[in-house]
Amino acid sequence: MSGSGLRSFVARRLLLGAAQTVAVVLLVFALTEALPGDAAIALAGDQPDPERVAAIREALLLDRPVLERLGDWAAGLAHGDFGTSLASGRPVSRYIADGFGPTLLLAALTVALLVPIGFGLGVLAARHEGGLVDRLVSGLTLAVYAVPEFALGVLLVTVFALRLGWLPPTAVGYGTDLLAHPAALVLPVLVLLSRPVCSLVRLVRAGMVDALASPYAAHARRYGVPGARVRYAHALPNALAPAAQQLARTVDWLLCGVIVVEALFVVPGLGTVLLNAVAERDVPVVQGLAVVFGVLTVVLNLGADVIAHRLAPRAGVAA
Amino acid sequence: MTTASPTPRATAGRRTGRFALGVAIIAVPLLLALLGPVFAGEPGPRAVSFTLGGGHWLGTDFVGRDVWRQVLHGGRPVVLTALGAGVLAYLVALPVGLAAALTHRRWLEELLMRPLDVLIAVPSLLLILLVASVFTPGAVGLALLVALVNVPDAARLVRAAATEAAARPVVEALRLQGESWWRTAFGCVGRGILRTLGADAGTRLTGVLYLVATAAFLGVGVEPDAADWAVMVDRNRTGLFVQPWAVVVPALLIVALTTGTNLLFDAALERTAPRTPGARRGRKERRP
Repeated sequence: MSGSGLRSFVARRLLLGAAQTVAVVLLVFALTEALPGDAAIALAGDQPDPERVAAIREALLLDRPVLERLGDWAAGLAHGDFGTSLASGRPVSRYIADGFGPTLLLAALTVALLVPIGFGLGVLAARHEGGLVDRLVSGLTLAVYAVPEFALGVLLVTVFALRLGWLPPTAVGYGTDLLAHPAALVLPVLVLLSRPVCSLVRLVRAGMVDALASPYAAHARRYGVPGARVRYAHALPNALAPAAQQLARTVDWLLCGVIVVEALFVVPGLGTVLLNAVAERDVPVVQGLAVVFGVLTVVLNLGADVIAHRLAPRAGVAA
Repeated sequence: MTTASPTPRATAGRRTGRFALGVAIIAVPLLLALLGPVFAGEPGPRAVSFTLGGGHWLGTDFVGRDVWRQVLHGGRPVVLTALGAGVLAYLVALPVGLAAALTHRRWLEELLMRPLDVLIAVPSLLLILLVASVFTPGAVGLALLVALVNVPDAARLVRAAATEAAARPVVEALRLQGESWWRTAFGCVGRGILRTLGADAGTRLTGVLYLVATAAFLGVGVEPDAADWAVMVDRNRTGLFVQPWAVVVPALLIVALTTGTNLLFDAALERTAPRTPGARRGRKERRP
């Protein structure tokens, strides 16, 4: 791999990332413009009294030209100013700061468990290819892979909270300090893990099976290289590249999952803030959160693509 | 290979077994979704919320309706919206992907594919929620949205497969013979990518089902009291400790529907797939 090849790839990928960021900001802004008729009246919803309409008009600066508003809003974003909520008048950045803790905790715990479990089970299944363990792991991951989080979540709550009484059914009453109540975190993290783990296990397993059956692995065995060394030093690195890309795609799933799981277990994180704002048509809050989520996705995807490219430059990561 | 491989016959038997398992799992929710409304009958009078028994086989829901009747009605919107969204996604992705693969004009390819690279960056549920915060999409709107978030990935796949198919000598021959673009694109290249599309359809349908159900659970594209399995799970959650059946039955049906779809497509594809080592790699692992 030549250094200049990597550098030019990173440069192209950065350019794409920048374009994606701009596109996310534009898309989010365009939605308020897409409102049919008078945006202020549409947003006032069920109680369109003139006072509220005027307040919304002022808060969104609807009297000014579109481009000027876009410029102001984008400039504000760059300085961390996300505007103020229509519903409460509080700055949107406060909403984000309040919800950040629980969401970060959920995401961090999930990723921290995802990587060892995913690789562990994947390697385990590949070692016993065709055996009972492999069939069990493969079948289970295939079955759970497609199940929506909310359906799995309520079933787990029914069994572990309702029937057995082992775990609390929701995080209600624990506030934002969830780390002090680990029992309330078990089910949410388990549900969040379900889909990404399945896809990662299947990917690592497929990569390992291919790598272990390849000529270089057979050759290493013929030279008397110990089995564990063949598995972990020779085969595993080759199974890593597709898995690294999958980890990036997992960002999208994790985000969907976090929103659903927070709604299901009443965790006061960013997902709950977003859903409340959507229900209240609190456009500035929705916009702010959408930009945060969108940019986060772009950045994480970028990072993972660069890592995947570093691991396997021929894999042809799109850029 | 030093690892013990199962005999071909054992593998084939297991595949048939998995296929049968997939059919068995998906049969219940699919039959309920398709035929349920026929047998549901007239709505009875409303009873007390969240009760068990009293002439109601599965009890009553959050506004006192018969849960069994809601279950019979609730599958159709999920299945139909998902199918509609899947078909729509391909209707857009196929022409775009084929045109990008077959054109010789570089700018046209860039024009078609680059916007999709940007759209793919937006998390799917976020886009749906964004639109829902401003409009109130109905079932059709939800199908359109879910189709939209699936277009970039599907178009990329079509383009990649079609580029490969278009490089074959037979396409070159057709071109030299002066066959029309449409005939070449849909007749030859289109047929050449059918297998890839078939493999993709399973993953995509699973992903579409997931998104449709999740959006309905979050209240997007559905009435707040709709007869819809996902809405039932959401609305009846408040009574989970009093009347679990109103939540557990629709949740189980959704699990069966999505798992069954996945198992069925996986088994069906393995049957038709060429048996080369590594051919299965990465098929099921794309994003939904």
